[in-house]
Amino acid sequence: MKVVTGVVGNDIHVVANRLIDLSLKARGYEVFNLGVNTYLEEFFDAVVETGADILLISSLNGEAEGWGREVKALKAEYKGLDDLIMMIGGNLTVGTGSADDIVPKYKNYGFDLVCHQIDLNTGLDMLADFIQQQPAKSTAL
Amino acid sequence: MSLLQEEREIILGNEYVEAFDFAEVEEFVKNANKELFISHHFKHSNKMLVQPRGGFPTYNKQFALNEFFVNANVDVLPLTIDSNTRLNDYSTAARMLRLSEENDVDMLNGYPLVNHGYRTTRKMVTHFNKPVSLRHGTPDARLLIEQAIASGIFDIEGGPITYLLPYSKNFPLDKAFLYWKYVEQVCANYSQLNEPINRESFGPLTATLVPPSITIVIQLLEMLLSLQEGVKSFSVSFAQQGSMMQDIVTGHVIKKLARHYAEQTGCGDASIHLVYHQWMGAFPTDQNFAEQLISVATTVAAMVGADKIITKTKQEAAGIPTKEANAETVANTQYSLRILNGLPNITDPEEEEILTAEVMAIMEAVFNDPADTLWRKVFNSIKNGIIDVPFSPHIINHNEMITIRDANKNIRIIKRGNVPIPDRCFAYEKAQCDLTKDTTSIVNDIIHDIGIMQ
Repeated sequence: MKVVTGVVGNDIHVVANRLIDLSLKARGYEVFNLGVNTYLEEFFDAVVETGADILLISSLNGEAEGWGREVKALKAEYKGLDDLIMMIGGNLTVGTGSADDIVPKYKNYGFDLVCHQIDLNTGLDMLADFIQQQPAKSTAL
Repeated sequence: MSLLQEEREIILGNEYVEAFDFAEVEEFVKNANKELFISHHFKHSNKMLVQPRGGFPTYNKQFALNEFFVNANVDVLPLTIDSNTRLNDYSTAARMLRLSEENDVDMLNGYPLVNHGYRTTRKMVTHFNKPVSLRHGTPDARLLIEQAIASGIFDIEGGPITYLLPYSKNFPLDKAFLYWKYVEQVCANYSQLNEPINRESFGPLTATLVPPSITIVIQLLEMLLSLQEGVKSFSVSFAQQGSMMQDIVTGHVIKKLARHYAEQTGCGDASIHLVYHQWMGAFPTDQNFAEQLISVATTVAAMVGADKIITKTKQEAAGIPTKEANAETVANTQYSLRILNGLPNITDPEEEEILTAEVMAIMEAVFNDPADTLWRKVFNSIKNGIIDVPFSPHIINHNEMITIRDANKNIRIIKRGNVPIPDRCFAYEKAQCDLTKDTTSIVNDIIHDIGIMQ
């Protein structure tokens, strides 16, 4: 399966982005890594261009919160993204906050999987489970 | 009028510059007190120079910080520049400076030198009469460097590679080379008037598992790019890597090869110095542990034989340190250096041989690039992955090299990408690591290796 990934907004924290790239590849995904400092339009453009099945956005400085609320409107402008699996992870708030508040908020923004301060491999296991539960999408990893 | 002078007049015609008086600045540099030149101290001091980091937005706060540093017996004062100035956004810097002055809250993460101007900044520099080191991170530093030298700042950090690959996603690298060529030429010209202006490269790079071979190659190349333009005093640098042995070996190899390549390219008359950065990676939040880390870093610097050490503070994990904590670290580091006597002269000949061979192989590949000038050869080498910096966010960087730590915390290359590490060296590096693990466990090891000091 194809994954587009990157760090959203004016966030230059690159370490986790590289590790996500490595880990996804190790799990057999075909990875298109847009790197740090990526805007929402660039993510969706890349999904269309590569025909990706999964969009995995990450954030460390928490500015995803600002971008997240624009996701639905922007995604609606693109055609044929209804089956796209949307995942977001990292540190999803500026300052402190609990996953109980943050997860529903991001689900509401249109994300299928929300990983706030969750260990990388746990998050990727969640992704694998989610894919398995989707009957049409359980094919070749 | 020379092309360089024409360019200088355009650069200094910037609306944020108070009328730049070329003749007056030249006269100032010619007659400047020798104490202001770090190159003079390198020549005459027989101790490791201690330099902290630090920059505040307002003149008064910067002045107060410097007073604290001087009372703590500092050797070299820092002047760290704010992030807006680093991106040439002088109008935002001006607005934030005004807000900082009016409200007594710091709205900038450093000193906006261009907005303060050289006439004001020079008053501070000459008042303390200590060498000042300019710390920034600017891809296009032409205007900043003109103002810095005019202020009496004669130690200029940075370079086209080391100020770009760790800090930027898509600033064009070829432009950075040309902007830094201007900086080198300006430094070289002023160097003829008095003691030489010292240029310093930023060896820590991403401070994340960068192997010593890559660090050294980039240090050597920035040094050669600088010396080629006529700079006569240059500092190569690297940061504490996590293994004392690897640091000592890195120190030996970088000193030996800096001299070797300077002579080979006809620049043997330049003086070359070694700067060591205390741990640049993630710091422990426990301030007692942070103090221990700083003190161990000083010990390693002494073993490495550095000419200058750049300090961290116990508040590193929490953000920008207070002036009290910053001055305390200077006093502590001076104390550590004073009691570090009778150091043994040790090395590991096998490690030294391997690292030397790696660096020379990469340097040879760079020199063999068919481009006509050195900067283009280096540019091409980064573009095609002969030079590959782990964890660089820049789009031009290949990101194919993978490194982990061995049992002794040495950084080892387990995937070389396009970097021409010789086969026998690569085999040696891999032999030090447990490679039977799957990639998922290796990724977990990498996460652990990045945070080893926490």
